[in-house]
Amino acid sequence: MPVWLREHSWRQTLTAVYLSLPLRGARATPANIFCSEQYLKVSIPPFLFEAILYAPVDDRNSTAKIGNGNIFFTLYKKEPAMWDSLTLADAGKEKLQYLRENAVLKAQEKAKEETEAKKITKQEHKKYALESTMKVEEAERKRIEDLKDKERQKVAKELEFWKNQQKDADKYKSVQKKEELRQEIEPLKERKNEKMNKSRIPNEGTSKIRLKSTKGHGSCSIFSQNLKEERLPAPRAAATIKVNFTPRVFPTALRESRLAEEEEWLHKQAEARRRINSDLSELEDLKEEEKSPDWLKDKGNNMFAMGNYLGAVNAYNLAVRLNSKLPLLYLNRAACHLKLRNLHKAIEDSSKALELLTPPVPDNENARVKAHVRRGTAFCQLELYTEGLQDYEAALKIDPKNKNIEKDAEKIRHLIQETMQSS
Amino acid sequence: AAGPDRPQVVSHVQQALSYTVFDCKWVPRSARLLCLGSAARGTGLVQLYELHGARLELLREIEKPKPIKCGTFGATSLQQRYLATGDFDGNLNIWNLEAPEIPVYSVKGHKEIINSIDGVGGLGIGEGAPEIVTGSRDGTVKVWDPRQNDTPVANMEPVHGESKRDCWTVAFGNAYNQEERVVCAGYDNGDIKLFDLRTMSLRWETNIKNGVCSVEFDRKDINMNKLVATSLEGKFHVFDMRTQHPTKGFASVSEKAQKSTIWQVRHLPQNRDIFMTSGGSGSLHLWKYEYPAQRSKKDSEGSEMGVAGSVSLLQNVTLSTQPISSLDWSPDKKGLCVCGAFDQTVRVLIVTKLNKI
Repeated sequence: MPVWLREHSWRQTLTAVYLSLPLRGARATPANIFCSEQYLKVSIPPFLFEAILYAPVDDRNSTAKIGNGNIFFTLYKKEPAMWDSLTLADAGKEKLQYLRENAVLKAQEKAKEETEAKKITKQEHKKYALESTMKVEEAERKRIEDLKDKERQKVAKELEFWKNQQKDADKYKSVQKKEELRQEIEPLKERKNEKMNKSRIPNEGTSKIRLKSTKGHGSCSIFSQNLKEERLPAPRAAATIKVNFTPRVFPTALRESRLAEEEEWLHKQAEARRRINSDLSELEDLKEEEKSPDWLKDKGNNMFAMGNYLGAVNAYNLAVRLNSKLPLLYLNRAACHLKLRNLHKAIEDSSKALELLTPPVPDNENARVKAHVRRGTAFCQLELYTEGLQDYEAALKIDPKNKNIEKDAEKIRHLIQETMQSS
Repeated sequence: AAGPDRPQVVSHVQQALSYTVFDCKWVPRSARLLCLGSAARGTGLVQLYELHGARLELLREIEKPKPIKCGTFGATSLQQRYLATGDFDGNLNIWNLEAPEIPVYSVKGHKEIINSIDGVGGLGIGEGAPEIVTGSRDGTVKVWDPRQNDTPVANMEPVHGESKRDCWTVAFGNAYNQEERVVCAGYDNGDIKLFDLRTMSLRWETNIKNGVCSVEFDRKDINMNKLVATSLEGKFHVFDMRTQHPTKGFASVSEKAQKSTIWQVRHLPQNRDIFMTSGGSGSLHLWKYEYPAQRSKKDSEGSEMGVAGSVSLLQNVTLSTQPISSLDWSPDKKGLCVCGAFDQTVRVLIVTKLNKI
């Protein structure tokens, strides 16, 4: 049960009511005061004071002053009239209740309206702020544009002025030139004829053209040119300077890429693998895996490593019959033939391998080097040293860093020189 | 320089062309400019324009059988003003623009396109014989004298058997008296080679890793002072050419300006420390070089070594979306320049406030 505060005192004027409410030691804050048009409540638990006002008041402008253990209300009447009493006397319970609820509702509505109003004003303020910043920026931009325009105009004017100056200068110069020439023409005409006769024989064509082409300028330029020629040094003695270029580690990607050729090489390899000549009578008694050229090649490599050169050659032969497009088979067979001293066969096989190793791409570099070296060796052993040297040099070109090839090439060169000297 | 005192690049005139322009040059002592390029049907075009107020007026159009890549006025006298051009077929021609039907001098100098051309000894600048140097895709750099037909007076070619690299740019320099002259050539693998024409030898070479698009000395007719070399991937190097160290060569400072290729560098004729670079993203950058306190110092063995200075950006502007492939300052009016871009336009620009630098 709240404790009612009843010791209030009030007085009124025509327009306002002053209500003084002593608080029995309780501390009041604005949250404790609730006022609507016709209802006033102060609730500081456990104290409670409520009043149904005699007539509606303007609750927006009314004030409450809290201090000195007292709340002092200044309520402005909606209609200026003298009140009989502060509160409505015949306030039944239901009426009280109804009024209370009404008051609360009204207060809520008011609060809502206020928030709405606040929102609207906020938006308007924002809009205004935006507009004014835009205006400011526009002004700045315009200022810069104006500056630029002014510069442009100034500069254009200067340019015109300079151009006119040029024109005048040109006119003056041409007038001057004509004067000078008139004075110089006589002795120079003779000289010109002399020169023409002298130079007629060697370069008739060019001197004629020169005369023709300078017609526009009148005869002035030839004379002055002739004069100047005598003051200029003679053309330089022709010479050549040889240059070397720094090698590039990463050549320019697309300009120098051998893309087309690399594609071709890959294509060829793929084709070669697919082609297998499988209709051979000897194959009937071989197992499935033994029919693959790769397996045969591996077999051949093993036999070569163990020194069984004839066996290796047989293996390679069969592999070639199955698939004649694999360059490595020929390459390895050439090595076997070298060991067996079948030099002509070695040359044939290396050549076939090289044929199949086109187009030349970094991918098949190693293979090509080997092919050239093997063929070169075969040639040398046949005493065809020049062909051998050619092959060695080709190998060196592909792989310049290989010391063995270099050494061998040197040896061959010496041999050639010796045979040439002795023969 | 502070904000309001910075040089501004003002676009004065813009002219749309109906062909690809590869080079644009001012005609000396006049307000006329030349555009050299290639028409759609595969012929070469030379157009002569005159600056009239805010527009360019076409004075003359000359069509030639082969597309023209580059041109220079460097080797002619001021009275004659003959244009030397290099075309896509490797021909070097010198034309009299008043009577352009037959060239004054013509030679098939190279087997492939002439990428770059430069002339020295003419226009009343410098001393010595007028010479033209051409650099071509066939890897050779040849120096021609217009008085000698058919054979070059100097030929810088790769050693026999060496795979060739394209020469992308050439420049003359050090022509301060009648005998001295150097040619600097830049190649597509990043090589920069300096050839001395008096001793007919290779004086210096270096490699800047990226293909060299453009080289230029700050002045052709003085003791060589600075060399700017621009390359792919937005880098350029400024070499101090006054002091050559026996092993380290010339000192340099490098700057990475843009993400794209720097196509051209051109020094301001009136101030040799200011230069403009044009880029593959259609932008122009104006730079100033500042010398160091001491231009050379002694290294540990006592030999002289150059000290490179610093480069500062004065202004930059983006004019186009396509690369600006050619740039030329007017030798007569300070700050006036013309640039041609691959969007088939040629623009006349004015750079202001260069007096205050």
